[in-house]
Amino acid sequence: MVLSGSDRRTAGGTGGEASSLRGELARLDILVAVPGDESGIFLIRELQRTRATVRHLWPLPETLPESADVIFSDLTDGLSARLAWVPGCAKSALVGILPAQFEGDLDLLRTLAVDAVLHRPFTARAVLTSLVMAWTRFGYERRLRQRIAKLDETLRSVRIVERAKAILITGRKLSEDDAYRFMQRQAMDRRVPIAAIATAIIDSQRMLG
Amino acid sequence: MARTSDRRDDAWRVGVLFSHSGFMAIIEETQLRGTLLAIDEINAAGGVNGRELVPVIYDPGSEPVVFGQLAKRLMVDDAISTIFGCYTSSSRKAVIPVVERLNGLLWYPTLYEGFEFSPNVIYTGAAPNQNSVVLSRYLMENFGPRIFFVGSDYIYPRESNRIMAELVRRQGGDVVGEVYVPLRAQRSDFRSAMRLIKAARPDAIFSTVVGDGTVYLYQSYFDAGFDSANMPIASLTTTEAEIRAMGFDVGKGHITAASYFQNIGGSCNERFVSRYQKRYGADEPTNACVEAAYFQVHVFAKALESTNSMATDVLRTMVLGTEYEAPQGAISINETSNHADLWTRIGRVNRCGQFDVVLQSQDVVPADPYMVGAGWGLAAGLT
Repeated sequence: MVLSGSDRRTAGGTGGEASSLRGELARLDILVAVPGDESGIFLIRELQRTRATVRHLWPLPETLPESADVIFSDLTDGLSARLAWVPGCAKSALVGILPAQFEGDLDLLRTLAVDAVLHRPFTARAVLTSLVMAWTRFGYERRLRQRIAKLDETLRSVRIVERAKAILITGRKLSEDDAYRFMQRQAMDRRVPIAAIATAIIDSQRMLG
Repeated sequence: MARTSDRRDDAWRVGVLFSHSGFMAIIEETQLRGTLLAIDEINAAGGVNGRELVPVIYDPGSEPVVFGQLAKRLMVDDAISTIFGCYTSSSRKAVIPVVERLNGLLWYPTLYEGFEFSPNVIYTGAAPNQNSVVLSRYLMENFGPRIFFVGSDYIYPRESNRIMAELVRRQGGDVVGEVYVPLRAQRSDFRSAMRLIKAARPDAIFSTVVGDGTVYLYQSYFDAGFDSANMPIASLTTTEAEIRAMGFDVGKGHITAASYFQNIGGSCNERFVSRYQKRYGADEPTNACVEAAYFQVHVFAKALESTNSMATDVLRTMVLGTEYEAPQGAISINETSNHADLWTRIGRVNRCGQFDVVLQSQDVVPADPYMVGAGWGLAAGLT
């Protein structure tokens, strides 16, 4: 069953609105993986009030789709195997649902790396707060991960360029400056990053032994 | 949930953070003007998709801490996600945690020391590979290998000098002195610097002094009887605005590396200069920081026209890769680094307080903020 906010707003809206949380929530694609009973319907209705696209998915599939922005699911031992990612590589924000009397292992919160917790029975306020907490924390974490990935890539590139430079200096008897100039000219002519040229130099050196 | 309380629901609201007061006002006010000129132009042409662009302007008073607080105020109280602002690296570093945590977009129109990438910043000023690399070589080839460093005591000069020292030494040159003055330097703070320069007898001076201190440095140099024809001060930050403040006779013969000078010609630039002077006065020069502050608003508006949304994630995707005909020439926003691909130029101050271009790149120089390619090969692209 696919439920969608009836008048879901497009990315537009007013300057103030679009920058606000309300506008951001309206663009979300939310997956609700709970039984379609009375409480399940309540949860879906409350989420729809944000004008987000809300998809209901039940029974739980083998693997939960990774296309959603936020997933609401009961925290069970089996959930871990149904997520399409390992902890630390989440594709969606995860709101873990717990029963009022939770007797299980609290370590599930850690191992499933949930971004927010929602307790049964649901209240309108709690549904919204868990959504906001999960989505904003997840977004920040994703931006930081992106920044770190870029730094890692940059450090790798620096190392590769240094190695290629050394090959050019010894193999082609170029000066340090000329080695750099050579790689940069190649990169400019081919319109590729200098690290790609450096990698090619290292690879061809390896092949020639 | 945030509510839209603004009565002008129909407008696109953007934040503007440049100092109108304090020791950085001399240059930041020009960036404010460049920003407002672009906003006026866009509104005069009917706004963006029929909606007006409305700036919400605060004065951080040259205090980095206040920059951070006002960024928070813009994003939290005013519900604004796009901010144009910052000159000093200290102020940028105060704003970045806020825009990263709350997912805003800071447009930073100032050259800086590089070695940074934030997904929440669009950098439209030059990185070191777009100015320092060429400047170091120009100084050594034309004046000699012995360079003296003088800077303000904060992040940008120390980091910039680290890069410059590496560039100078690798070309066989020597850093014959390095001295820092307080960020809010007075005239008297430069006396000992002048004595050190006299004793070291360098071939050129590389200055990373910013703000009011710039004027005192060049005036102290002039008063000490040094000759800019033989031992010029070279800088990345001394623009037409500072030259005007120090006096044309004081500035004459000194050197700056920048992406833009008022004097570069071109019809796009001439239109920009005439509109700027029409609005702010015929004797008000433009400069590289005004130009970046100006063109970045246009790049933003161009992207906004396509997205029709100010949401950061939507807007950033559209901004990356955007090309724009700026007063300095055609520029683009580099998709891999969030930095602008810009022109490299070296200018020398003439007796009218303008820069004569003595060297310029044949095309834009791709931004390489981490100096991965070490930026050495620029020789190929220079005329």
